[in-house]
Amino acid sequence: MGKANDVQFERASARIWDRLYPYLSILPAFIIIALFTVYPFVYAVRISFFQNILTKPRSHPFIGLQNYEEVISSYYFRNALSVTALYAFAVVLGVLIFGLGVAMLLNSNIRLANPLKIIILLPWAIPTVVAGLMWKWILNSDFGILNGILYSFGLISSYIPFLANPTLAKLSLVMAHIWKEGPLAAIFFLAGLQLIPKELYEAAKIDGGGGWRLFRYITLPLLRPITLIVIVYETMTAILVFDLIYVMTGGGPADSTALLSWFAYAEIFKSLNLGHGVALAIIIALITLVLILMYLRLLKTEEINT
Amino acid sequence: MNKKVRRSLNTVLLNILAILLIVYIIGPFVWMAAASIQGENELLKKPPNLIPENPTLDNYNYVFTGKIPTAYEVKGQIRSRISQEARLIGPAVKNSFIVAISVMTINLFFGTPAAYAFARLRFRFKNPSYSFILASRLMPAMAIAIPYYVIIRTFHLLDTYLSLIMVNSVITLPFTIWFLTMYISNIPREMEDAGLVDGCTPFQALTRIVVPMMAPGLVAAGAFAFMTSYNEFLFARFLTQTIDTQTGPVIIASIAGNPDVSYSLISVCVTLGLIPPLILAISMRKWLTEGLSASVTYH
Repeated sequence: MGKANDVQFERASARIWDRLYPYLSILPAFIIIALFTVYPFVYAVRISFFQNILTKPRSHPFIGLQNYEEVISSYYFRNALSVTALYAFAVVLGVLIFGLGVAMLLNSNIRLANPLKIIILLPWAIPTVVAGLMWKWILNSDFGILNGILYSFGLISSYIPFLANPTLAKLSLVMAHIWKEGPLAAIFFLAGLQLIPKELYEAAKIDGGGGWRLFRYITLPLLRPITLIVIVYETMTAILVFDLIYVMTGGGPADSTALLSWFAYAEIFKSLNLGHGVALAIIIALITLVLILMYLRLLKTEEINT
Repeated sequence: MNKKVRRSLNTVLLNILAILLIVYIIGPFVWMAAASIQGENELLKKPPNLIPENPTLDNYNYVFTGKIPTAYEVKGQIRSRISQEARLIGPAVKNSFIVAISVMTINLFFGTPAAYAFARLRFRFKNPSYSFILASRLMPAMAIAIPYYVIIRTFHLLDTYLSLIMVNSVITLPFTIWFLTMYISNIPREMEDAGLVDGCTPFQALTRIVVPMMAPGLVAAGAFAFMTSYNEFLFARFLTQTIDTQTGPVIIASIAGNPDVSYSLISVCVTLGLIPPLILAISMRKWLTEGLSASVTYH
């Protein structure tokens, strides 16, 4: 009798455990993530409705949307917005061309494809601040190695101040960004290329397709989903870029590289206006959110079409 | 004949492109390493030597033992460019390691059961909680960095490993869970079903049957978590204050921020700081590439 009871009890508790088990297994991760994203975000939204200037620690009056109004109507915001848009466009285009080109090289049967496969991940694997720093020294206007090489070959007669000229500074940032982010896109495109059945190319060749036509009518259309992923991922990375600017240009010269996230940082740590900075950070979050929603829509229509 | 010529011309062109690409990719690394074994006076020459003329390990010696490199004793002026801070790179890399290894452990320890539940088990709120975890990754760091700083300060946890480990776990866990969920979904179910019929609990099925089969996925997920937290800069910049917790990227950025810094000592710091991720990237290349490829081609 007692034994049967024990067995029944054991079964019941086993059933409860089985019921609870899924919740227990996601709980720790779920709590850590929820605690450190939801709460800080709510807190950030709250801060953005109050005046919060770090030099006046005792007065935080509620000012509604004034932080947002002040930020949006400032010259710096318009500047940051256009610089960010330009930067994002250049970087996304650059990473797409670089990624696709490198992926096709890696996928080709040339002998150098193998060493390339070994080193391609290296820029991706290192901290962005360090990547920016290496490029900053290479581009240095007084003793940078790039100037040194160009000078030794007689391509320039005097050293070029790459990071002190607004246009060259932007170009330098874009080039360093492509160096850091391009390899990931290359790996993504390579994965896509390897999924394309070889028979497709063979069939097209029998039908008389040449190199460009194969690329245009087989490779590109079949890479569309991955291209979309890369575009969205890279747009987000470009809008949120901070580390590179922090080490390479500090937003200068003359705000020519002051992107939105740098502007948010400068509002907090240079102008010491926490309310402005956080309002900006939330605006950035909203912009990325809109982009992600657009992306999800695009992906959905993509799935319907195929 | 014409076709043959064109084909070989094509190959030559592709090889030239590949060489240019190799130079672009590893050039900065090679130059950093080359600069780290030169004296400051040689680096400041116009133009500098591409190949070091008098290679020396003095700069490394200074970072490890504090012995002033002879190249600096020549000119009094240059001597002032030696920044004491360069000697902090050793402890900083140690801090990065402690944080990264803890984060990796937390990821595998909590991420694996969560991924298993999402991939295999049925329970209420499964889809919303999964979507929430994935969506949390889309929050821009800048938006939560300041509030996070304020919260950490209120709990007196600034400048502790704990705060860094927490924030890096939050950053990495969503990717780990998503990645491992995909990985488990792609493992055939038969073995587990057999185990469950034989009276295994889901937890036993996970630890005894699934975990051994998903070892490559765990290695890749662990490597991603390690690298992300080893490289993280923004939060580490806010949350650390002294060398007790400052990580490699924070120290390197801070040394470089000093306008008078010695170029060769920075190169030493960068070279030393990059050794761990570069070794990891090369030795785990296969798993990392497969993991990254899977993240865009699996569904």
